[in-house]
Amino acid sequence: MDLGLSTDPNTPILEVEDLNISFYTRSGEIPAVMDFSMTVMPGETMGLVGESGCGKSTVSLGIMQYLGNNGQIKSGSIKFMGRDMSSFSREELRDIRGSKISMVYQEPMASLNPAMKIGRQLNEVLTLHEGLSEEEAAKRSASMLDAVRLPDPDRIMGAYPHQLSGGQQQRVVISMALLSKPQLLLLDEPTTALDVTVEAGIVELIQDLAREFGTSMIFVSHNLGLILETCDRITVMYSGEAVEEGDINTVFDNMRHPYTKGLLRSIPVPGADKYAKPLVAIPGQLPLPHERPVGCNFGPRCQHYEEEACNKGLVPMTEVGHRHWSRCARIDEIDWDADVAAGVVDEPIEVGDVVVSVKGLKKHYAVSSGMFGGGDTRTVKANENLSFNAREAETVAIVGESGCGKSTFAKVLMGLETATEGEVTLGNLDIAHLPVEKRDAKTVSSVQMVFQNPFDTLNPSMTIGAQIVRVLEQFEIGDSDADRENKMLELLDLVKLPREFARRMPRQLSGGQKQRIGIARAFAGRPKLVVADEPVSALDVSVQAAVTKLLTDIQRESRTTMLFISHDLGVVRYLSDRIVVMYLGRIMEQGKTEDIFAPPYHPYTEALLSAVPVADTHVKKRHVVLEGELPSPLTPLPGCPFQTRCQYAIPGKCDSQLPPAREMGEGHVIACHLEAETLKEMEPVIVVEDNVAAG
Amino acid sequence: MKPETISTIEVIITSVIRFWPVWAALAVSLTSGYFIRERLGTFGRLYGSPVGLAGLAIVLFWVFTALFADVIAVLGPLEQSFTGGMKKAPIGTIDSESGILFLWGADNLARDIFSRVVYGSRIVLIIAPAATLIAYMVGSTLGLPAGYYTGWIDTAMSFLANLVLAFPVILLFYLLVTPEVRIPTMYNFGLFEVPWSIPIGMAALFFLFPIIFLCLMWWTKYEKAPQKLMIRGGTTLVIGLWLYVGLVFQSPIAPLSLDPNELNVFAAVVLGSSPGVFRIVRGLTMDIKTRDYVAAAQTRGERPWYIMLWEILPNARGPLIVDFCLRIGYTTILLGTLGFFGLGLQPESPDWGSMINHGRSFVRLTSTIHLALFPALALMTLVLGLNLLADGLREESLKD
Repeated sequence: MDLGLSTDPNTPILEVEDLNISFYTRSGEIPAVMDFSMTVMPGETMGLVGESGCGKSTVSLGIMQYLGNNGQIKSGSIKFMGRDMSSFSREELRDIRGSKISMVYQEPMASLNPAMKIGRQLNEVLTLHEGLSEEEAAKRSASMLDAVRLPDPDRIMGAYPHQLSGGQQQRVVISMALLSKPQLLLLDEPTTALDVTVEAGIVELIQDLAREFGTSMIFVSHNLGLILETCDRITVMYSGEAVEEGDINTVFDNMRHPYTKGLLRSIPVPGADKYAKPLVAIPGQLPLPHERPVGCNFGPRCQHYEEEACNKGLVPMTEVGHRHWSRCARIDEIDWDADVAAGVVDEPIEVGDVVVSVKGLKKHYAVSSGMFGGGDTRTVKANENLSFNAREAETVAIVGESGCGKSTFAKVLMGLETATEGEVTLGNLDIAHLPVEKRDAKTVSSVQMVFQNPFDTLNPSMTIGAQIVRVLEQFEIGDSDADRENKMLELLDLVKLPREFARRMPRQLSGGQKQRIGIARAFAGRPKLVVADEPVSALDVSVQAAVTKLLTDIQRESRTTMLFISHDLGVVRYLSDRIVVMYLGRIMEQGKTEDIFAPPYHPYTEALLSAVPVADTHVKKRHVVLEGELPSPLTPLPGCPFQTRCQYAIPGKCDSQLPPAREMGEGHVIACHLEAETLKEMEPVIVVEDNVAAG
Repeated sequence: MKPETISTIEVIITSVIRFWPVWAALAVSLTSGYFIRERLGTFGRLYGSPVGLAGLAIVLFWVFTALFADVIAVLGPLEQSFTGGMKKAPIGTIDSESGILFLWGADNLARDIFSRVVYGSRIVLIIAPAATLIAYMVGSTLGLPAGYYTGWIDTAMSFLANLVLAFPVILLFYLLVTPEVRIPTMYNFGLFEVPWSIPIGMAALFFLFPIIFLCLMWWTKYEKAPQKLMIRGGTTLVIGLWLYVGLVFQSPIAPLSLDPNELNVFAAVVLGSSPGVFRIVRGLTMDIKTRDYVAAAQTRGERPWYIMLWEILPNARGPLIVDFCLRIGYTTILLGTLGFFGLGLQPESPDWGSMINHGRSFVRLTSTIHLALFPALALMTLVLGLNLLADGLREESLKD
């Protein structure tokens, strides 16, 4: 089929001009994307970044001409290789989708047909679009699986999707998208559902593929660090509009929009420090689509806002440099190099005595594989020999990927599970074997938790006030209803929410506000220990900093010990005093934050550090990409749990003996067989260039 | 002498006019509902769905008919006309002696079918929702722990539920109404006599659940506020047990009592629908118990029953309301079936099922088809309305 597409290297692969997309819902027309323009040249990788609801996914769906029943392109044009997309017939569109333009979605499992073998799904692309025979298609598919570095392509071709791990599935999806050599590849948050070390592998793969095949890409993500590592150009979106577009380094170093600047300042990068150089949150929250202000959408949250200039009519995109545009009415008046109007610099917290002491903690689960509970019973060792201390007012981070046992450990602390062996001492009480039903109100209120998902953390059918009062009742705080009511209002003050919120239902609150209620609930009984399970990871970037600040402020005030569970080393580095790195239920390394981030490293920590994307152009990272997948916890390995993925593994030693926990000085412990000298000689993974003050 | 009749068009017009209180009430409730639709939650959003709104209107039609039955009906449900030729009188016949219009004709005992259908709505609309509600209490009280604890509790209860579901319902009903099974034996306890039979035993068990359910709710919520617990729990117990002795054992001291036939129907219907409720509640519980707010309640040391009744059950209400509407429909059909087999209420009762049963022997003749036609239409529209309403609610709750 001749589609009249231009292959001239000077014609943009994709040219979007003045695009307006609206959705029609019950409450009328909702503009999702407004006045959006973007150009992607052949071979270029464009990053599309923004917070939830900013319209980035709508843009990518609009490019595919796939907006569903209630979405509609109102005006503007999308030109693909010189031809207007709206001029394609249905058949032509079907023909180019999957062959000229491919898309990779966030959830790999949702993109693959669970009832079909991988091989058939891959071959289908080629037999359908290129009319190849089954054998030829199978040959091409296998070589493509090889290109996305999946071991043993033949085995994978014969497997069903559920037999592969998440990382392998996403590689299959990417290979499927690349099979018919598309001109444009759309990646919509392709790694968000994956673990960091797996994500690092996929990111490296995407970079290599871009180089190898010369495919143009649009990479949609909320993660600025990831965009910086993968893209040549970036478009920053806010509330339905593109606010800044330019070359990646230009935008990161010479941004010309207050939102971009605010966004970069609210992400913890290696230079940030919670005391000396705290993050600066963007005040306020994202406007709802039907409540956008007149003029600049970012106006109400912008520190450079000025009447007249910012709230009169549409602000157009202005060219500020070579292929660099910004949508700001006051570009010339703002001093862009002015340093951060630094937040209040806090004194470091003095750490007190040991509050929680974990000694030799083990949690095993018995899993029976046979029917009727018979068959062979296997043990999953979710936690194995955990030992560490946490002091008063100290923040200890527990870092590890999914399946490392950090959530199980939290459950044991909370009393939702009891330990198999070992002890957890809180004050003089061993709580490891004390389920929550057997704890008295005082003990229960002294160990509390902040949950991960703000949309799940509050009971949707009870008012905010009633939920907090219930917590106070349960903790036996306050003498009368009126007294508890007062305490509840004080707690709302504590988390900086208006008192009217007491009468609201959770659905009337934004994610950040819900998380504040979650914090108020956890701190209601003056806890000694608060377990925070990724408390900000589900929040929008611009809100994260504010919630993080609140959490540390309350902690400082109440001198609570905080166990911060996370996989995000950026936040962990910023927040915590000490770090415990876990892998498959065991502690690999623990020590002070600065010791963890500098050599000597445990080989796993080294890979983890390298895997976390950093949104700072001044940071240089050494690349350490882990091969392989997390081994199944059902088949425990003799020796070091990390042996299968470790590049330093010593045959005959690591696969037979458990590595000793070796003291490297001042509470810095590494469990590894490598000589202390070898560990000490490791090069640093993260290097901050000199012109930026190192944290 | 052949009695005078009116034309079909006049019958239709008069039918519409006779329901005037229903139309007025419908107009008032639907318009006022429209203005406060924002505050009505899912029900308010029905105004955006024509199908759901139609369902709601049909259901409300019968609800208002039951409410205003005394105004709408011309004669009592059991009143007979003794004028000659009025037996099986065709549609639109005027009784020559009293001058009363038998709008939808008369049955073989010369009773006004129109009035009987109107009064029948009362029986259907009281028994079906009430029996469904009790089935819900039974199903929830058992389904919540099954879904929450899982393990052997779940296995045992699910097995029981499957057992009941697998047993042919009609056979069960026949068993329940067999005289040997049904007729109560009186046991004398000195001061009072207690009747006992299998249906009474079943009812005694089922009617206990609402009391247990409410008491559990108050106990878990006000455990740490003894005063409130005493007031609420005490009131529930006193009123609950007072009603209980009357409804189950026909005690003369209670304000309400059920006659043995109605008790049978209740027992049969609750037994038939509670396994279904058990299954849906169990499934929803398994889903909701993985939410963080349940974990938050656990970590602050809440009792399992508090979590089940106050954290899980309220958040399962969306699908449960939909299922409740559908299930009232099933129960209505079940009541009809029971009536049709003559297993239900007293033969003279104007409930729609019994009326259809009565009329069935006359269906062969076109001139007497109306004996069964009108109650059948009534039954059909009510069930249709309930199904449409449930569909509308489900659709609206799925949207955003």
